[in-house]
Amino acid sequence: MSELTYTEIDATVLNTLTPPKRAYWLTVAALAAGILIGLSCWIYQIFVGIGVGGQNNPVGWGTYLINFVFWVGIAHSGTLISAILYLFRAGWRNPIARAAETMTVFAVCTAGLFPLIHLGRVWLVYYMLPYPNQRYLWPNFQSPLVFDLVAISTYLTVSSLFWFTGMLPDLAAARDRAAGWRRRFYKILSLGWTGEHEQWRHYTRGYLFFAALATPLVISVHSVVSWDFALAVVPGWHSTIFAPYFVAGAIHSGLAMVLTLMIPLRAIFDYKRIITDDVLENVAKTIIFTGLIVGFAYATEYFIAWYSHNEIEIESFRWRALGDYSLEFWIMVVCNSLVPLLFFFKKYRRSTPWLFGISILINVGMWFERFVIIVGGPAHDFIPHAWGLYTPSAVEMGIMLGTFCLFFFLFLLFVKHLPSVSMTEMKETLEKGSAHGS
Amino acid sequence: MKRRTFLKLAGIGSLSLATGCDSRPANTLYSLVKAPDDMVTGEPSWYATTCRECPAGCGVVAKVREGRVVKLEGNPLHPINKGKLCMRGQAALQGIYNPDRLTTPLLKTARGSEPVSHAKAAEMLKARTAAAAAKGENRVHLLTETVGEVLADLFTESLARWGSGPPLVFEPFAYESTKTAHKMVFGIDGLPSYRMERADVVVSLGADFLETWLSPVEYARKFKAMHAYGKGGKGLFFHISPCQSLTAANADLWLPPVPGGEGAVGCALLRMVLAEGRGDHLPADFREALIQTVAPFTPEKTARTAGVPPETLGKIGKAVLAASAPLVLGGSAAGGGDAVLQADLAAALLNCVLDPNRSLIDFDARHRVETAARRADILRFFADLKEGPAGVLLLNSVNPVYAMPGAGDVRDALAREDLFVVAFSNFMDETTQLADLVVPVQPPLESWDEYGGKTGLLSTLQPAMGAMVPAPHVGDLLLGTAFGAENRPAPDYASCLAKRLMADHPMATDRDRLETFRAGGRLEDRPEEKTGKTAEPPADLTPEPYLLNILAKASEAPEEAITFTALPSIRFFDGRGANRPWLCEVPDPLTKIAWQTPILLHPETMKKAGLRQEDVITATTRWGTLEAPVYESDGIRPGTAAMAIGQGHAGFGRYADGMGLNPFHLLSPLADTVAGGPNHGGEPVEIRKTGRGLPLAHTDGSRIQHGRTIALSISLTDLVHGEHPEKHGLAMHEFPLVLPLPEGYSPHRDIYPPHEHAGYRWAMTVDLDRCIGCGACAAACYAENNIGVVGPERILEGREMSWLMIQRYLDPDRPEKVAFLPMLCQHCDNAPCESVCPVYAPHHSKEGLNNQIYNRCIGTRFCSQNCPYKVRRFNWFDWEWPAPMNLQLNPEVTVRSKGVMEKCSFCVQRIKDAHGQAKNEGRAIRDGEVVPACVQTCPTGAFVFGNLMDPQSRVRRMVEDVRAYQILGYINTKPAVIYLKKVVQEI
Repeated sequence: MSELTYTEIDATVLNTLTPPKRAYWLTVAALAAGILIGLSCWIYQIFVGIGVGGQNNPVGWGTYLINFVFWVGIAHSGTLISAILYLFRAGWRNPIARAAETMTVFAVCTAGLFPLIHLGRVWLVYYMLPYPNQRYLWPNFQSPLVFDLVAISTYLTVSSLFWFTGMLPDLAAARDRAAGWRRRFYKILSLGWTGEHEQWRHYTRGYLFFAALATPLVISVHSVVSWDFALAVVPGWHSTIFAPYFVAGAIHSGLAMVLTLMIPLRAIFDYKRIITDDVLENVAKTIIFTGLIVGFAYATEYFIAWYSHNEIEIESFRWRALGDYSLEFWIMVVCNSLVPLLFFFKKYRRSTPWLFGISILINVGMWFERFVIIVGGPAHDFIPHAWGLYTPSAVEMGIMLGTFCLFFFLFLLFVKHLPSVSMTEMKETLEKGSAHGS
Repeated sequence: MKRRTFLKLAGIGSLSLATGCDSRPANTLYSLVKAPDDMVTGEPSWYATTCRECPAGCGVVAKVREGRVVKLEGNPLHPINKGKLCMRGQAALQGIYNPDRLTTPLLKTARGSEPVSHAKAAEMLKARTAAAAAKGENRVHLLTETVGEVLADLFTESLARWGSGPPLVFEPFAYESTKTAHKMVFGIDGLPSYRMERADVVVSLGADFLETWLSPVEYARKFKAMHAYGKGGKGLFFHISPCQSLTAANADLWLPPVPGGEGAVGCALLRMVLAEGRGDHLPADFREALIQTVAPFTPEKTARTAGVPPETLGKIGKAVLAASAPLVLGGSAAGGGDAVLQADLAAALLNCVLDPNRSLIDFDARHRVETAARRADILRFFADLKEGPAGVLLLNSVNPVYAMPGAGDVRDALAREDLFVVAFSNFMDETTQLADLVVPVQPPLESWDEYGGKTGLLSTLQPAMGAMVPAPHVGDLLLGTAFGAENRPAPDYASCLAKRLMADHPMATDRDRLETFRAGGRLEDRPEEKTGKTAEPPADLTPEPYLLNILAKASEAPEEAITFTALPSIRFFDGRGANRPWLCEVPDPLTKIAWQTPILLHPETMKKAGLRQEDVITATTRWGTLEAPVYESDGIRPGTAAMAIGQGHAGFGRYADGMGLNPFHLLSPLADTVAGGPNHGGEPVEIRKTGRGLPLAHTDGSRIQHGRTIALSISLTDLVHGEHPEKHGLAMHEFPLVLPLPEGYSPHRDIYPPHEHAGYRWAMTVDLDRCIGCGACAAACYAENNIGVVGPERILEGREMSWLMIQRYLDPDRPEKVAFLPMLCQHCDNAPCESVCPVYAPHHSKEGLNNQIYNRCIGTRFCSQNCPYKVRRFNWFDWEWPAPMNLQLNPEVTVRSKGVMEKCSFCVQRIKDAHGQAKNEGRAIRDGEVVPACVQTCPTGAFVFGNLMDPQSRVRRMVEDVRAYQILGYINTKPAVIYLKKVVQEI
């Protein structure tokens, strides 16, 4: 990377903030239309009832919760890259840290919508908050859903602050180059950053603390999400492996999403010199690791089902692989555990099309993993008479489309309006072998 | 103000309030300024009357709140049903509040049906009948359902006034062959009561007495009196029929012969008992002739002709011979031609031989349905009507166009220009549509009347509420039209009834009469309770060749063709229940299919025809064609096809139209030659694939229980002689029974401390040995708890709302063995639903109830996901009660809105009621004082409800039974619903 200069970095990154072309706005408009479709589906559902979705008895949770877990999972890699790898001084994370952290914030926002969409009476959601009231009614702190509320809101708060704090020097740089309303915009956002020594000292300390604060959240938030299932008695959910299994899965999907986002980003913005093939290769190597953990978790579940001698558990897992949702199950296994093994070969790690294709497959596989768990558990649990199947409805699909559009809509706005690569951190790594703070 | 007037006003008042009502509460509440004495707002009043949903005539008490009936329960003092009701009885309310109920008389004109006033209709009726009567004799005809004696006599008198013969009683199930057999053997052309409770072995040659046969609630009770485990043993029950009805599913042994083979089996049994020297009280020549006649029915030959294993036949014979009080019942309620006559005759002769004193058959208490005319007479009636002179035909609540196969003559007769057809009916149906004048009449719950389901029983009807729709009683109509003001026997039907009752029964004063009506009749005269022998066999029991020929008939060997049979349905009876949404929604007990009528085929038959379940086939017989979805059933003999009777209506209102199919389309319109009964079975049918499919709205996810501790059974031998060691393990099959009480706490199993209860811990036991799977409890639950009816599409989506459902499990190795299990909220002590709700909507009460606080629920559905029993129901939409159906809603139970979870509450409203009562009287709630709706209606008394903390309570004593277990107890939920294993016997 040594061939880059400070100016070149500034130029490459800040050039992305030039007023966008028509194609950009058309894409943004298309995504906005998608959001509107999702929104109208949601409004329709509020007025008519949750029944417009495909959920039923026994499968009370459908795509809404699948997407919730999916997006929370996506959110994890952002923090992993920006915080954990920061603490580990892994310099290769610098070019993608900003975009990954942004992905985290937007993914948590998207994920946070789903518990609301999923509620039968969303207008009463404030019952979940511990607000003082004359009837002394308090939320049930035994309920994993209350854990969830706490965990997700904490995560959103910390990751947004971390994201914003990290961006301050870059915003100031953008302010210095911008004119007109843009200048005023960046001026407000950069909170009066002047670049004096004292500011840098506070900034680097603060960034480090945030990273330290965010790191346990990577583990805890998805562990808490996994307890939504693990604390239930449903066979296929009630398992002690769930917390590490979910965290690994989350990082797996998040890394894949990073690839999915970075590859087009560097193509469009000519970031090839910043987000180099080496960076992508490092992500791919990490994916091998997470893929192996996820595969190990799948195998462990089967081992425990067999080892437990619990007929209900055994039947539940037999049915998972061979029953009505076997296609979904095998999509999950192949995409999440087998396909990533291709990255053992350097050829695939360094080929952008392969990286992109495999990252999409992992995203798909991870979505189906949540489907297999969330739908497959209750669909085939204790009472055979009550067994039933679930198919998502058009309204659910509409809402899903809307939320995917929302995520990409926000991300697209971000890349053209905020510096999508951390110039500060790039400059820190210009010297070979150097990383943050070293 | 007279009570009647008041009820009328109240009814109209609530009707007008109801218009435009929805689930949102009204903004204004009005209270009565001057309430009548017997009405306290918020307090129910009860009116005893008689159920008229089928000819059995059970006693009911109607619960009335603020002038409208909200629930029907059995009258505990009534000798027929002793406080119990079947699901049809529960759903009688939906006839009253049906949104398709006719509101005015309708006259058919060139422009279609036009509403006319009741006065105009009566005037027209009077003019037409008078004109017809003037033209000659027998010009006015009346076809009626089974009615009480008083009304039947009024019909006869009225017709006599018009110079016409007596009315004809039309019942689709008229037991022609049974009556014929009884005439031949006992000399009585009638239908006796059976003292089944005193028998120790019962053999049914097709009689489906748990569903429709004669008096299902009564016989369900008597059956379990003889067949439920108690005093170290239980009776034996054998059922012989090609298709497994609910009755057959409850048999210790179900033997499927070829269709029509029941008679041969009966004859084989007769041969066996005669060979053992039974029946020596019979005239010697008769006995000899009988032995000669049944001689060919050796086990081997019967095995060949009827297609049953000879060793099984031998076993049944042995059991019958070893019995001290064996009882044999004849053919199915839906007749089946000559073959059923043979079965009925064999049954009558077997009883005659085995029970010389006739201690189990009571001809003093005969079922009222015996007044129904034979199908042959009905056919002749319509044939004559088609050809005969012009006149007037009156139809009283009958639907022959639907219920008679190939109703060509009926249609032709009704279509005659010069025959003025008047239908007294509250609904448009297939027959009513063809009538020239339709006059709505008072339905039973709104009228004064009398209907004794059995001879010698006075059972009365009184208006339980004001008329929903102003309509005359059919008796009033006839009194007004057939008689002049001067020769009228009474000014109105009510006084006619009063006069007659006071004449026939010892009643000194009007007050006595009113007391009789208040009590629902003279119920202390229990005709069935009379003991001792009734009548000697007629001395003239001679070896008539006529009789012997019927008996000698050998059933045909199984052909290549598939044989079609129509089965009477527990839900719709003969089809009259098809417009009651509860009956459509509560699934069929055996197929678990709601709203639809599949054709049942054995897996072998399906394999041969290359069919799969849910394929649509065309079934073609000589008489017609139907397109029906296939249901794969192990409860049917290979080579046989069956369909339930009752659905497939055209023009019978929104709940019946387009739902299911009418199997009568495939059956012969002809009556059999000897008994004159319809042929509801044994029709060769051709089956062809259409290539299309139809998803079946079934509520079961799996037919077997995968070896889990759900519906358990124990063999009688193991129960009596086996060891019953206490269990101590933690795994599914070793987990002990853990009561939902502090004593159930164990530091080895529990994290949280035990719940302390304040005086009461409500619990229920369900004796699976008593449960027959009839579904009355499920229907009662819909009625009591305002449960939404969702319809077939939603059931296909898996969104039925039943709080209590009967789960049906088949034995994986012997799928003809069926276990029924009522599943409802288990009110766990350690409830998985409670801990996962973020807002405490499921709440553990001080009395151990798992309450669902609807107002608090935000609809996360986590509770339902975490419920191991999957008994929680989510309101996916706002369910509809089209007016005036909403008037039936129980005001004591919240109507839940969309987005809210709900489930069985153990009828908490009834518990609160008992609390109030006990508090007023300064005492504790007595054992048996709280009776949830399901417990109340169960015909066999399978449920016991009470306080587990009271060591003397019945429920507590039931829990001590070695059969007691908890479903999947090993999850350590500590359910408060404790099941008692079914006791099975291997024959």
